[in-house]
Amino acid sequence: MMSRFLPAVLLCSVLLAPAAADPLGKVLDQENQDNGVSRKALPGVDDLTYLRRVTIDLIGRIPTAEEISEFESLAPSTRQQKTVERLLADERFADRWTIFFADMLRLRSNAEGGGASIAFIHRAVRDGMGWDEMSRRMIAASGKAGATPELGYILGDNADPMALAGSTAQVFLGVRVACAQCHDHPFDVWKRKDFYGLAAYFGKTRRVQSQFTNTVYTTEAEQTTVLWPPEGVEDGAERKPMVPAFPFELDKADRPSRPIARLRALRQKQAQLAAAKTKSNQKGDAGLEALLAAAGTKADRRSSGKKTDDLGVANEAKRDAKKLKIAQARYRASKLRADLAAMITNPRNRLFAQSFVNRVWGELMGRGFVEPVDNFSQENRASHPRTMDFLADEFIAGGFELKGLVRTIVNSTPYRRQHAVGVEDPVRIELESAFLSTPMRRMMSEVLYDSVVTAGHLFDVKHEKGKNLKVVWSRSRVAKRPAEGSEAAVKPQLLADATSRKVMKKPRLKKGKGGSPYDVEQAIELDFDALLAESKQDGVKIERMQVMSKEEIEAMRMQQQAANNRPDVEYFDRFIRSVFDDNPRFSTSMRMASPAAPEHFLRIFGQPSRATLDEKRDHTPSMRQALMLLNGRLTHEASRVGELEPIHKLLTGDTPRLEAAIRLAYREILTRNPTATEIAEAQEVISGAGSPLNGMADLRWVILNSNEFRFLP
Amino acid sequence: MAMSCNDYRLTRRRMLATTGASMLGMSVQQLLAAQGSSHAATAEHVILFWNGGGMTHLDTWDPKPGRPTQGEFEPIETSAQGVQISEIFPQLAKQMHHCAVVRSIAGTQGAHGQATYNLQTSYRQTANIRHPGFGSVVVHERDRMGDLPGYISISGRAPRAHYLGQKCEAYFVANPGDKDPYLAFPEGIGQVRGNKRLDVLARFNRRFNAGSGDKKLASNQTAVKEAVKLMRSPALKAFELDKVPTTTINRYGDTAFGRGALLAKRLVETGVRFVQINRGGFDTHSNNFPAMQNHGDVMDPALASLVEDLAETGMLKKTMVIMLSEFGRTPRINPNAGRDHWPNVFSGFMAGGGIKGGTVVGSSDKDGMEPDKRPVPVADLHASFCHALGIDPNREVQTPLGRPMKLVDNGNPVSELFG
Repeated sequence: MMSRFLPAVLLCSVLLAPAAADPLGKVLDQENQDNGVSRKALPGVDDLTYLRRVTIDLIGRIPTAEEISEFESLAPSTRQQKTVERLLADERFADRWTIFFADMLRLRSNAEGGGASIAFIHRAVRDGMGWDEMSRRMIAASGKAGATPELGYILGDNADPMALAGSTAQVFLGVRVACAQCHDHPFDVWKRKDFYGLAAYFGKTRRVQSQFTNTVYTTEAEQTTVLWPPEGVEDGAERKPMVPAFPFELDKADRPSRPIARLRALRQKQAQLAAAKTKSNQKGDAGLEALLAAAGTKADRRSSGKKTDDLGVANEAKRDAKKLKIAQARYRASKLRADLAAMITNPRNRLFAQSFVNRVWGELMGRGFVEPVDNFSQENRASHPRTMDFLADEFIAGGFELKGLVRTIVNSTPYRRQHAVGVEDPVRIELESAFLSTPMRRMMSEVLYDSVVTAGHLFDVKHEKGKNLKVVWSRSRVAKRPAEGSEAAVKPQLLADATSRKVMKKPRLKKGKGGSPYDVEQAIELDFDALLAESKQDGVKIERMQVMSKEEIEAMRMQQQAANNRPDVEYFDRFIRSVFDDNPRFSTSMRMASPAAPEHFLRIFGQPSRATLDEKRDHTPSMRQALMLLNGRLTHEASRVGELEPIHKLLTGDTPRLEAAIRLAYREILTRNPTATEIAEAQEVISGAGSPLNGMADLRWVILNSNEFRFLP
Repeated sequence: MAMSCNDYRLTRRRMLATTGASMLGMSVQQLLAAQGSSHAATAEHVILFWNGGGMTHLDTWDPKPGRPTQGEFEPIETSAQGVQISEIFPQLAKQMHHCAVVRSIAGTQGAHGQATYNLQTSYRQTANIRHPGFGSVVVHERDRMGDLPGYISISGRAPRAHYLGQKCEAYFVANPGDKDPYLAFPEGIGQVRGNKRLDVLARFNRRFNAGSGDKKLASNQTAVKEAVKLMRSPALKAFELDKVPTTTINRYGDTAFGRGALLAKRLVETGVRFVQINRGGFDTHSNNFPAMQNHGDVMDPALASLVEDLAETGMLKKTMVIMLSEFGRTPRINPNAGRDHWPNVFSGFMAGGGIKGGTVVGSSDKDGMEPDKRPVPVADLHASFCHALGIDPNREVQTPLGRPMKLVDNGNPVSELFG
């Protein structure tokens, strides 16, 4: 199944245009001219600034000092292009852009099938699966949560037809029709009947939760739940099944730049490549069919032949066979949703490509042609329809491939333009809305996190062993043996029991079950491949019984605890001293279970909860954010100088090379060389501190907290 | 459509803001009173105890002596004439003349997630929108007092602010009494060094911001200033429980819950608007009775001391103490000596902030199965809390999609709760 889109990557690198001709920039400039825009475009940023900008956008962190040097060693004429290709091929590209998709599709690791869906997206981005294919799979998906990784989208809205109609239009086509669920759209053309027609595609889909195993899957019923007229509209009127109707118009003919014809040619080439590939690799995909077949063999083997001891076997085989029947019946595929998916992703459906290129353009440029990016409407027209259409055509012709689209945008002149500085707001807004300058963009939460980790060399340990020994006192409550003759001594057996249990218990850190108070700055990496592999196995296994809710487990835990805390026993605190080597390392936040807990760093810096359609990344600053960066462990550890960092050598020894260290710090954290004033200032900061190492920590702390660090250049 | 409702969005709020929260010289409270409400709002703060898991109503606020559903606890008399509560609350019983119990909350949701959502937001959970928790509503409507954040959640998560925005999110305190590492410079960075860092940072940012002129940068600076102000605020002392006399700690109970209640008291005294204290363990499908005895042992001293102390200093008039859970539990006792989920009727506890002491609102039927007198829908509870705080529960705010949403889902204040 995967092999069908794999060749897209190969093709793109082959078809790559030689020099940066920048047709995109030309179209935009022409459109601005035709729109009567009189202001002049700002020039492009210098090379290092571009490196920082494009590295952050493509792989979600700042460049390292090594990457900067490598970049500088490239010939100036090919630097940009080579760097873009390197970044597109970087494995972090999929990490960074999975976040883009997960936000858009509202995928949640902890939701039914959500974790597998995020892993599915990650692999699709990595392998260059077209957005059309990704969309078709998600819209048409059926099966069991987790086992069908694409299912997270349908289950995200509990397979509710009304919710799915609203989200499908908004996510895949950038059109908000949800208002029309309850009334004809007040500002737009959408009628209530349009909404119901769209919802009807989802009307037969049911979300089922097994009573015994608690697993969730979808199935297709005979009857639709979407009826017309809507409830309560006409008293006594008979409500009939709504006939599915696709309310969006499809193009009749190909466009002048022939995107559809070009797509067809591309698909043919891909098919040839795929055919060649499948021949050499017959392994195939362990899909549901294969798993069912395996289960079938098992049922056959049990029910046939070898008559063994008793009736138990036959019964079990019957049960197995029954299970199989149920499985086949229950994971029924949806014909209606497959039809809908085909129409949505049809290259003649302009909105599908337009809304996606608009989102990606908005992500990279800080502003969409249509804004908000998911509100295409006659009342809210694109600022540059021709430029948007140019991108949409290229996107279609390129097989709906994200990397190709990103490549076109980041190699264009508009992407490289400077911010408008030192101008009044109205001028700035004018420049930015014509894409003659680029707006200030704040790093999104995951990028900020990973950039601090990168700047501070925290992906790996940076201190020598034993250099950061810390003493920690932990407290444990220990039961006192009662004085002889006391009342409690009446129950010696019980007491001895309680006492020994207490003493045997491992000493607990004083912070208790919450763990470290810095947990909210931790990132625990998920293995997406393992997640997908696991979901495959899950297919036939009959799921374990779900025993208790987390609320019930909490009740049991507290009872247990209370039982240990006996009123007839006296306790005293025992303090235990322990020493540990505090040599921290941090993982990337891009592969964490997402969204993170509400109080986590990522959420505080704007990661959305992915719960509702109207929630966007929040880039507004808050006091909580400031506290987290000023006083948090991440910035603190990133600032401290470790012996294993290159900068350490420059700061120690008989003749510290302060200026070189300052240069390195600026390059490592801000991707640029410091000015003479900045060097002087930094020297002052460092000499004012107790030691060069402390001084450098102060300098790095300041730069990591600065606005220049947090905003893309 | 992008410009559909933005203008409307501001009208009411701006009207209140620009007129100093008054019109025709009347305060909001007076306005509400003029609209037919019988009393002026007195509540300024809320302390909400959230008992997660679904606390049994029969073994707490709504005992059924002599019925097969009674269970193992006896009712006891309280300081409020004719009001009986479960024997697991012996100390609180002496404070009941300050407190009210609603015994006829008519819930509709029997699953933890949906019921919690309903009780904490007043809304039913739907696919298309997420509603803010009550704490967020309060800090959205009432200005911050003092340096501390307006909304603090202790020992667990409060619901999110959603469309009310970042400013209405709760500040999270993991373990009451523990030092919050984010409110002081990192370990090993002394005051002098930390302040020097802040000075250099301010210089860096001033230079960078001046070079750009973009206002986005300035608002980042405001956040830093606010943070530093909080770090330097004497109000932070409210968080520190290590200087509290042991006798006081023991009076509240030396438990996370007891310390949480004590911290909550200190926080509202310092001006915090809304404190939520979270505690679970009420999902007693088995061994309900020993579990509830434990819960009583933990909650009784804390609640009783809190109400008593607030009453003594006069703060109780301005502070509404609420205890809620997502639903009650089955009158029938199951074979595991437990009780299961029961949303049809359950109870809530409240005191202070204008709530009439010694009140019982509504009743369940003789076995605690269904509401008998005066069923109280969940939204009416929220409307009552709003009423006490002088907040109009029907005020509309706009979601980012431009959809108008009421602060409370069509509730009416329960007038019997007020004098």
